[in-house]
Amino acid sequence: MRRSRVIEAWTYEPLERFVRESGARLTLVMTPAGQVLAQFGFARAVDVMAAAALGAAVFASSSEIARLLGNLEFSTLHHRGHRFGIFLGGCAVPRGRLLALVIYGEDSSVGLVQLFFDELVRGLQEAAPEQERSRPVLAADFERELNDSLASLFGR
Amino acid sequence: MMIDELTSLVDEYLRSPRSLAFVDLAERLRTEGRLEAAVRVALTGLEHYPTLSAAYDVYARILLDIGDLDRAETIWRELLERDRRHVGALTGLGGLYARKGDYDSALDHLERALSVDPADPAVVQALMRVRRAAEDAEGDATSAQASEQTLFRGLDGAGRGMLLADRHGQMLGGRLETPAGDEVSEPAAAHVASVAREATRTADMLGLGPWLWLTIEAAAANLHLSAPDDQSLLLVVRDRSMPAGRLARLAERAAETARGWLGEQIL
Amino acid sequence: MIAPLAEALDRMTRVGGVWGALLVAADDGLVIAEAVMEGIKPAAIAALAASLARQSGIASEAAGAGTPRFLHLQGAAGTLAVMSAGDGLLLVAVGSDEMNVGLARLEMLRAIEAAE
Repeated sequence: MRRSRVIEAWTYEPLERFVRESGARLTLVMTPAGQVLAQFGFARAVDVMAAAALGAAVFASSSEIARLLGNLEFSTLHHRGHRFGIFLGGCAVPRGRLLALVIYGEDSSVGLVQLFFDELVRGLQEAAPEQERSRPVLAADFERELNDSLASLFGR
Repeated sequence: MMIDELTSLVDEYLRSPRSLAFVDLAERLRTEGRLEAAVRVALTGLEHYPTLSAAYDVYARILLDIGDLDRAETIWRELLERDRRHVGALTGLGGLYARKGDYDSALDHLERALSVDPADPAVVQALMRVRRAAEDAEGDATSAQASEQTLFRGLDGAGRGMLLADRHGQMLGGRLETPAGDEVSEPAAAHVASVAREATRTADMLGLGPWLWLTIEAAAANLHLSAPDDQSLLLVVRDRSMPAGRLARLAERAAETARGWLGEQIL
Repeated sequence: MIAPLAEALDRMTRVGGVWGALLVAADDGLVIAEAVMEGIKPAAIAALAASLARQSGIASEAAGAGTPRFLHLQGAAGTLAVMSAGDGLLLVAVGSDEMNVGLARLEMLRAIEAAE
């Protein structure tokens, strides 16, 4: 039984292994713009949209701080809560940059998540298809692609 | 002969449908396995004789044969409320409880039936059958329990500090108690399976090779976890007075014992 | 607390068969301090040792044995030793299958006593 929902099939195996080994409760893999490529654990559509948007925004903000500080980039962020922790990590694949938003509970740790995130990155890099020939992105194309991806994500 | 007897009962019933012949006919149809016909005859007769105990007794037997144990039990219980010495009801309930595996209740009712009518061959036979079944059932349970108890016999702490589980966290044998004497076999079995998976992953990812054993020195006791084979896990727990090295030796012996025992089990 | 424990790592690495010694945050599985040989991955050791300690603690409590103080995982090709140092800290030693676990354990105890 598949516990993940993926739009891009090549993300499935690396993500399944990551979720299994890290013990993450909730995981999204998305573009820096918040377009979701794969998910695990979200039960309601609104959680996916909100989490993806907020995760992308947080990562974008931290990247801007890094730029102001003269760092090239922050590769990961971590917030630790009382019962849950949040981990945001970025990686580069042939098709561009990806973000992973991971929420984990008391049965995991940021150390485990980080350990297996590194493996996830390697897995995504190996599995990702080559970048498609770039073409001008029309606003209508982008919106249609986003709607298509959301429809696929929610099984409609 | 049997067909003649049935034919004779049918003829009698047809001659006088409102007579009491329906009781014998319903019983005969039941013993012949013609349960639908037996039900029709019994219910038709009960319309004419709504208070006839013998008719209810036969009807309850038919229900038992059909498998409707609850209704059969209800009818016999009502018969006993009217007549505590109703042999049919006592015998019927004896058979019913035996079917449910409640041999104590079955024997109780059958012995009461025998005390009412010591010469009734049906009661005698039923009692003998149920006694044999009860002995067989007790033998099975005893032998399983004995097998588990012999698992670590002779080893220090056998009855309270050694546990054999499968990789899914389910008990295979042995027994684990806390220092206070509470049995914790099942939860311990469940959790050691998780520990074993974690140990496997840790050893694999850190290049330690296949893991051989894990010892845990804890506040109240020392624990030793190993895998007698690739399907099972052995947990040995002893109080802290036993040094780690000696605990490891004890666990080795227990693992050997466990391997032998596992090999003997019929799956 | 942390400084004396971190200083003890160097002594731990002098025990026969030790490839690396670490001070680890138990809840996070993160490295606080480390002294490891080239090629040894401290982040992986920290995360996995902390996770093993957590699972072992749950099993130990379930067995009525209480909170674990020391773990020894023996592999066919290596050894891992983990000691609770209090304050959510773990001392970890990883080494060959012939690592002197007894000495490593003594060094860990000395370090904890010195830090208290």
